[in-house]
Amino acid sequence: MKIALINGSPKIKNSASGMLLDELKSLRSGDCITEYGFHTPALPSEMDLEAFAQQDAAVFALPLYVDGVPSHLLNCLCRLEQYFVKHPSNLTVYAIVNCGFFEGNQNRHALEIMKNWCARCGLKWGQGVGIGGGGMLTGLQSVPAGKGPRKNFSAAVRQLSEHITVGKSTEDIYVLPNVPRFAYKMGAKAEWRQQIKMNGLTEKDLFRKL
Amino acid sequence: MRLIVHDLTEEQAKEILPQDKDTTIIGDNGTIHHCIGCFGCWVKTPGQCVIRDNYGDMGELLSKCDELIFVSKCCYGGYSPFVKNVIDRGISYSHPYFTIRNGEMHHKRRYENHFRLSAFFYGSDITEQEKKTAEGLAHANARNLDCQTKKVYFAPTADAFRGEFE
Repeated sequence: MKIALINGSPKIKNSASGMLLDELKSLRSGDCITEYGFHTPALPSEMDLEAFAQQDAAVFALPLYVDGVPSHLLNCLCRLEQYFVKHPSNLTVYAIVNCGFFEGNQNRHALEIMKNWCARCGLKWGQGVGIGGGGMLTGLQSVPAGKGPRKNFSAAVRQLSEHITVGKSTEDIYVLPNVPRFAYKMGAKAEWRQQIKMNGLTEKDLFRKL
Repeated sequence: MRLIVHDLTEEQAKEILPQDKDTTIIGDNGTIHHCIGCFGCWVKTPGQCVIRDNYGDMGELLSKCDELIFVSKCCYGGYSPFVKNVIDRGISYSHPYFTIRNGEMHHKRRYENHFRLSAFFYGSDITEQEKKTAEGLAHANARNLDCQTKKVYFAPTADAFRGEFE
């Protein structure tokens, strides 16, 4: 199969979206994979839209920004829509949206936006995956896929991969991290404390009001 | 203070939006930068975006408003890229720590003000599904910002909103 993997994070390196796509890529060794980085409001300058439209599947991975799609990616989607309304394609679109909140279903509005974009472009929607606990993903790079706290994330990616293989359009899936919610919440708090201290500030500064 | 974020042209904004001293209007002057996901507005310059263009103080502006209004072209059941960009640049309004509200995880409040949120979506061919998505999105925004949704409107053109802000 020809599969496009689109990283919709504004971060060029070390993003949760990139990590999820890497895991998906590791399951698709027999396929022809083309990777795209949609990190800014402009489509990558080297992007060949005709080649993109000839893929069998496109998998977007993106972070949830204020309940929706990050603005820079919206710009890219608008540009792609302009192309697809003039150049019909058989592409099937999948999307993985990750959020910092615990509940994966908080990504549902962003997934709906991606589905509505497909409808505007005349593309087939495959499946959406809403991942909760995305804040811990990049800290799990040394944990093998499918193991320990990566277990639920990996299971979702594997399920998505199986649906890509058969070109299936199916219900979205929502994933909770397999750690207790209170532990995730406390872990996030510790992480923010550490980060502000690394910037020479104190925990009190986290509460600064302007 | 009433805060209006819109994607109208300068001429449209003058004709459609209220021009009173209690209203702050944020429009597109073509210079906005996108959020780069650095969380600097939480851990480097808390409360303020590290990108110092004209849109770096959205969190502070939100803290001073009692009404927030989005006027936006409806894009796939959400806001237009510009309006969403302004929203993305305003996350410093919230505190990075999590709290549980109505059984869901959200960000804690940084500020004490409470405002009402309205969204005015325009577009000549907004589908029923897009309306459903946009309604859900506006309510989700209100839950996350810990504010109330006042109204979600849809109209074929932004001209239809004339007089709605008085």
